[in-house]
This record gives sequence, structure tokens and C-alpha cells, in this order.
Amino acid sequence: MARDSLMDQARNAASLARKKGANDAAVVSYQSRNVDVTWRDGKIEKITEATSRGLGLSLYVDGKYSSVSTNDLRPEALDRFVEEAVALTRTLTADPFRKLPEPSLYAGQAKVDLQLDDPAYDSVTAVDRRKKAEALEVAARNVKRSDAILSVTTRCGDAIGESARVHTNGFEGERKDTSFYVGATVSVKDADGRRPQESQYASSRFHDAMPPVEEIGLQASQRALGRLGARKMGSGVFTIAVENRAGGGLVGRLMGPLSAGSLQQKRSFYEDRLNTQIGSKLLHLTDDPLVVRGLSSRLYDGEGIAAKVLPVFDGGVVKTVYVDTYYGRKLGMAPTTGGSSNLVWKLGDKNQDALLAQLKNGVLITGFLGGNSNGTTGDFSMGVEGFRVVDGQIAEPVSEMNVSGNHLELWKQLTAVGNDPYIYSSMGTPTLVFEGVQLAGT
Amino acid sequence: MQYFQRFGVDETLIRNTLSHALQHGGDHADLFVQHRVSNSLVLEDGEVNRAYTSASIGAGVRVIKGDQQGYAFTEDLSPLSLKRAAETAAAIADGPARAVPQTFHVQQTPSRYPLKMRWEDVRAEQKLPILRNVNAQTLGMDPRIKKVSVSFADETGAVLIADSTGRISEDVQPMTRVFLSCVAEQDGKRETNGWNVAGRTGFDWYTTERLDKLVKRAVDKTLILFDAVPPPVGEMPVVLGAGSSGILLHEAIGHGMEADFNRKGTSIFSDKLGKKVAQPFVSIVDDGTQEHARGAINVDDEGNAVGSTTLVQNGIMNSYLHDAISAKHYGVKPTGSGRRESYQHVPQPRMRSTYMLPGPHKKDEIISSVKEGIYCDSFSNGQVNIGPGDFTFYVTNGWLIEDGKLTKPIKDVNIIGNGPKVLELIDMVADDLEIDEGGWTCGKNGQSVPVSQGMPTVRVSSMTVGGRKS
Repeated sequence: MARDSLMDQARNAASLARKKGANDAAVVSYQSRNVDVTWRDGKIEKITEATSRGLGLSLYVDGKYSSVSTNDLRPEALDRFVEEAVALTRTLTADPFRKLPEPSLYAGQAKVDLQLDDPAYDSVTAVDRRKKAEALEVAARNVKRSDAILSVTTRCGDAIGESARVHTNGFEGERKDTSFYVGATVSVKDADGRRPQESQYASSRFHDAMPPVEEIGLQASQRALGRLGARKMGSGVFTIAVENRAGGGLVGRLMGPLSAGSLQQKRSFYEDRLNTQIGSKLLHLTDDPLVVRGLSSRLYDGEGIAAKVLPVFDGGVVKTVYVDTYYGRKLGMAPTTGGSSNLVWKLGDKNQDALLAQLKNGVLITGFLGGNSNGTTGDFSMGVEGFRVVDGQIAEPVSEMNVSGNHLELWKQLTAVGNDPYIYSSMGTPTLVFEGVQLAGT
Repeated sequence: MQYFQRFGVDETLIRNTLSHALQHGGDHADLFVQHRVSNSLVLEDGEVNRAYTSASIGAGVRVIKGDQQGYAFTEDLSPLSLKRAAETAAAIADGPARAVPQTFHVQQTPSRYPLKMRWEDVRAEQKLPILRNVNAQTLGMDPRIKKVSVSFADETGAVLIADSTGRISEDVQPMTRVFLSCVAEQDGKRETNGWNVAGRTGFDWYTTERLDKLVKRAVDKTLILFDAVPPPVGEMPVVLGAGSSGILLHEAIGHGMEADFNRKGTSIFSDKLGKKVAQPFVSIVDDGTQEHARGAINVDDEGNAVGSTTLVQNGIMNSYLHDAISAKHYGVKPTGSGRRESYQHVPQPRMRSTYMLPGPHKKDEIISSVKEGIYCDSFSNGQVNIGPGDFTFYVTNGWLIEDGKLTKPIKDVNIIGNGPKVLELIDMVADDLEIDEGGWTCGKNGQSVPVSQGMPTVRVSSMTVGGRKS
């Protein structure tokens, strides 16, 4: 018996929702498979295979709204589930702002092949994954000072996901994507008993675009060995460079409150700041959902809205708020999209080394540890580790430090942007240099 | 045979699945079946105008060989799908097949979260007044409160764990949480804060008294932020208030005592068992037995009995938190700490409810002992690097301590320290242990599990405070 396609399942669930009393419904049907090998110190640690599927339904019943999901797709179980969900929805208060998107927002999808799905996906075998995981460890141990290494754990895996989306007011969409990843984590022993650990990681939508695993394994152990002897340094105000890999942690906090939901709920420091300057001229980035092979690329968003390139910050000026249809109606703002996709920076012309060469006395931040940011006020305080930079050169490693400030001040102090966007994250952050930043240590 | 009715899984299917799992040998196999229904209602802008429900069912099959694991899960509990999952997991081993027991026995488990009424039997109409009353009460507390959101969540998770030793364990795990968040305005400034309560409890747990306290705390903790001064910068004494300060234990020592990191030699506590790590008045436990606590469990997700594990006894490092693999590695009894987020995940050693036992000092004595430092009152999140031992926790509300007195409120400051160093620097512990009722969730290797934590008032003689100079 042939299984229903995901599109058929989504259409059937939308019909079922209507039959049970919903006026409208938006349905996503999905399935995914993820195979992963973890390797540690000379042998396989764990093999896992995850196959998942399910349905998500947004129900609109007499002006009332709920969002439900289930993976029990047996017909009688689904029938009962949807019936109960509709009954639950009826108990709520009607919400005039809650409707399916205007169909005009569905129109105008880009006519591009995003190449999210590697046709060679099925050719990767269990033996390939195991060999790569093993090679990652060999590469990680093939360094000077390898006697300091306590343990090496590596991973190799891949995933394939498919989904279909159906809205009862006319939207239908399908997508399929693949991804491949490798990573290595290396623990080393320090003289004082500390056991610093560092990782390196790579991922891609296409198998043939993956970097050599030797590179990743080697970088992981170099990073871990670089942490040996890390100390807290004195508190002070410094110029900091944030490594491209770590920068997403800071940019994510900057972007978090840039949504209509945050504005409408009065939880955003962007209130009254659309089209105003909140950062230096170098804060310049766009949201580009149409990057070929992009990790967060899409032709339509989570509401079926046709994806478009959006200017987010232009020379430090806020140009776009992420507006979904619900909060857009509440605020009287035109919908843009509910959430970010790939971020693309206007790059500088220097790499990290060249940027550090200009620092007389600064700190290179290579990782954040916990902390938080208050989206209402912009205040943030986060743990950091990295290296001192003295006379343009990387000096001793530092740890157990903290950085704090306010986003409305920090981004005005952005004085340089690198030419080196981090390609293994859809944040795509380059090295960022900020002046006058408060660090806490001893 | 409750499990048969719930999952449609009988003893023959269990035996066959475990047989397929051990077709290439291996030391141990287990089957974890779970059915979970989660509901939440959300009030925003004065109305309960959205509901979320999620239902999931699935079964995971695991094969263990030494410290190696094969794992696969299925969301279709048919014999064929379970067989396929078992065959995938079996690939970790490569020897001759092992036999599984002919008969299984259902283990007796304690009842740490009995409910008067099951969540399945509580109708949405009964929950709605709680959200509406909390909203009205919050807005009524102070005209500066401009926005309120309230969410009411409940969950029922049923699990069945069967393994190749012939054990079957069952548990039905309830959970509920009410989260209140508010935004206030004063003189053109705006502040946000909130509070929440959670537990493996039923509808009757939401007494007027508990909800009144929730509202008062959320409002007080928001309004006080208008008076906050910039937090200080650098090393200084840090006093942790009773209750949710247990987050310090969770990050500074709890994760480092999870035995998987130790058997791999990657925790900073790897060779510290039996050694002095703190003052003699410091004792720390991780306890899965507290009735109705968010972190309580009747049985762990590997079918092992759950007790209270003493991590530090009178300053001496006493025991790790074990799952089946690490217990075997160390030749000790499992501590009932093998937990997983769902059927999609392998178990790992995890915390349950982590707290410090009361000590010899008094809260007032501790505060008055500090000349210049800070007092931490409420927290949002924390994190740790297990190997070097550095950890952080984020303070949403606190106070400056000047000349032994709480003087001015502070907010939004991260504290950073090193686990073993901070343990050594705990130099005063009060007698006022409080277990926090907050809805804490712990993340590890991509898996989230509910936990609890508690603390008496404690002084750490020096930690780095990540403040801002004004």
C-alpha cells in the first residue's frame, strides 16, 4: 500500500478540521530522518537513527484560535484529536486579529532553485559516517602537545526533512532539505587540574561542500590546546574583537526584540526606533531567505508568506521589523515575515588577523558562557572567554570573564567588520570589533 | 496490565522487540515507550485567546555493549516498526544473539505525585478563571503595570520501560506550570519581569494563597527594577538568597558530578571523590524523592529505583550521579539518575532536585558580615563549561550590600565563577533552606528535562560580578 504523500496528508487534515467545525485551518505535515554516529577515543560511542513524522494544525473556529500537533496519525486517533482540539478552541475568547494571512501575501514566490536538497543524500552509508568520525579523531590527535589531550569525541551525521503546508484559503507549499554535519570536541588537561574543552563543527546542505574532516579535527584540538593556562584578567574597559564563530550570540540578542510581537507587548527597545540610527555606519545587514544552499533559506515562511530579501540595518539605521500577520494586524503594520532567515553582512576588507593587528591592548572573544539580555531595556551581561591581544598579537588565554553593556550603546561602538562571515551558521557573522566595552574579571 | 491498554504493547511484543535488539549480542537492551499530552492556555491583552496542545507517542529501543550504545526509535508501535528500530539499535554489537527472559515482572514503584484529579479530567473551562483572575489581580496591584501575560500549562506523560533483565516499570508523570509576566511603565521608562510556579501536581495545587504569592512576586520584582542602580564590576562577596539560588549548585557542581563526564575524564571533578572540596558545613544532595517536586520521579528512564544522592557530605565529595552505563563502569549501584527528554533520546545521568542542606549560620548574620558585595534574589538562567569548571548564572533581581545592609536594588547582571573554587569559597550557610517551586528546565546535549533546586542563604567570599560602571 502506497503511503499518502505529505501533501495529501496535509490536505486531508485540513478537510478534517473543517468537517469538525473549524472555519479555517493551516496544516503542516512533516517527516524527517537523522542518522548520527558519535565516536570517542578509538571506538564508536553511540549510533542513533531518528525517524519522525507528524502534523501541526492551526485552527480558526468562530474567530477563536488554537495551534495543536500530534504524531499519532492513525485515522481514528487523528479524528478524535482534531475533534477535541476544535472543542477546546471554542472555549476561548474570540480574537479579531487572528486569521489566516491575506492570500496576496502568498503571491510572488521567488523563481529560484534554492538547492536545499542534495540528490546524493542516499548514497552516504553507515561505513562513510564511521570512517569520517574516526578520521576526525585521528586528525585531532595529530598535533604537537597531543599528550595533553584527555579525550576526543567526534560526530558525523546527516538529516533529511520534508514538509507540506496547506492553508484553507489557498496556500499550498512543499519543501525538502538535507543537511550534513561533522564535529570534534577535544578535552585537554591543564596543570592546575582544569580540563578545558573546545569544539569545531561544520555543516552543509550538500555532501560535496563539506570541508575535509582533517581540517575540523585539527582546529578542534588547536582550539582546546589554546585554552591551556587560561586566567581571569583585571576588570576594565577594552576594545574587543568578537570571533566570527562566536558573534552570532551577540547578534542574536540584538535581533531578538526586533519583532512586532515584542513591540506590541512593550518588550522591545526598538519602540519608536524604526528608521532611526541605533548603531554605527558599519551595522549593515540584510535578511536574505534566497541564498542558494543557505542553511535558513526558504521560498515561504512559517505563515506561507512569500520570502523576500529585507534590509534589516542600513548604515546603523533600523529598516525592518519582523512582522507576522497577527501582531501586524494588532499594530497596524504591514507583515514582513515572522522570523529571520539567513543574515548577510556588508563585509569589511580585513580578516581577523588584520583586525587584531590594529589592537594595541584588547581582548579577542572566542566564546560566550551563559548570561542574558533584557529585550525591553537592551541591558546585557554575558560570560566570555578568549585571548588578550597585545600590540596586535594574540597573547595569553583568558577565561571566567564577563562582558556587559546595553545594545543601544554597544552597536554605536562597532568600529570594524571583518571580511570573514562564519559559514556554518545562518547568522553569517564576520569578526566584529567594538571600542570601549566593559569587561569584568578580578 | 495498564500499559497494554495505554500503548497497545503486550508482553509478547516486548519480548520479541528485545530479542531483535539482542540478535547480535550486547550486554543489555531496553525498550522505552512514551505517550505524552501537553496543553497550554495563554492570556494576552486581557483575553485567553490561544491554546496549544501537543500529543506524541513513540518507542525507543537501545542496545548497550560496554559503554557503547545503539539507539533507534519509532512513532508507529506496530510489531514491524518496533522490529526495524530494534534491528537498527542492534548494529552496535557484532556477536552471537543473546536470549531474553521468558517472563517479565512489573516492578513496584513509589507514588510521589498522586493527584486528586487527573489532568485529562480537568476541562479548559475550569482553568480559564485562573488565568483571568491572575491577570485582573496583577493589573489591580499597581497602575504602573501596563501589560500582563499568563500561561497555564499541564502535561501527562505515561512511560513504560522494559529491559533484558525482565523488568517492566511504568509511571504516569504529571506536570503543571503557571507563568506570569508583566511590563510596567514609570516616567517614560519600561521594565519587564515575571514569576512562575511548577510541580508534578494537580489542579487543586493552585490555591488562592499560591496564586496571590505568584502575583505579588511578579509585580514586586518588576516595579523594584525602576529603582535599580548599575550593578558593580569585579570580584566581591556574593550572598545567595534562599530558594532559587540553588541554580549555583546546579551549575557549579551538579553537572560536573554527572558520571558520564567523569568516566570520560572530561569533568573538573573527575578525580575528586573522597576528597575535601568544601567547608564541613556544606552538604549537597540531588534528590528525586520530594513529593510533587518538578524534579521528582518514581522511577528513572532506565527502570532504576530513584533515591536521594549525596553529592557532598560535610565538605567531602561523596557520589556521582549515575546512569546504567556509568554505574557499571564504576561498579556501583545506579543512583536513579538516568533520564531522557523523550522516547527520541538515549538516557544520560541528570539532576533531579539539587539543594544544599541547612547550615549553622543565620541569614541576618550573613548579610551583616559583608562590607561591600551583592545579594542575589532571583535568576533567569545559568550555564557551565564542565571541563574547566567555569559557570555563570544570570541575576534578574538583587541588591547591593553596603556595610552589612541591603541598600539599593540591582538588575540584569551575570555572575561568573569556577565550580571547585566557588565550593571552597562558600564560607557561610544559613539554616533557612527553601526548595524553589519555579519551573526550571535543564539542558544537556540537546535534551531538556524538568528539575528543581533549593538553597539556604549562603555566602561565597568572592565571585566575579559582571556589572556596568555608570
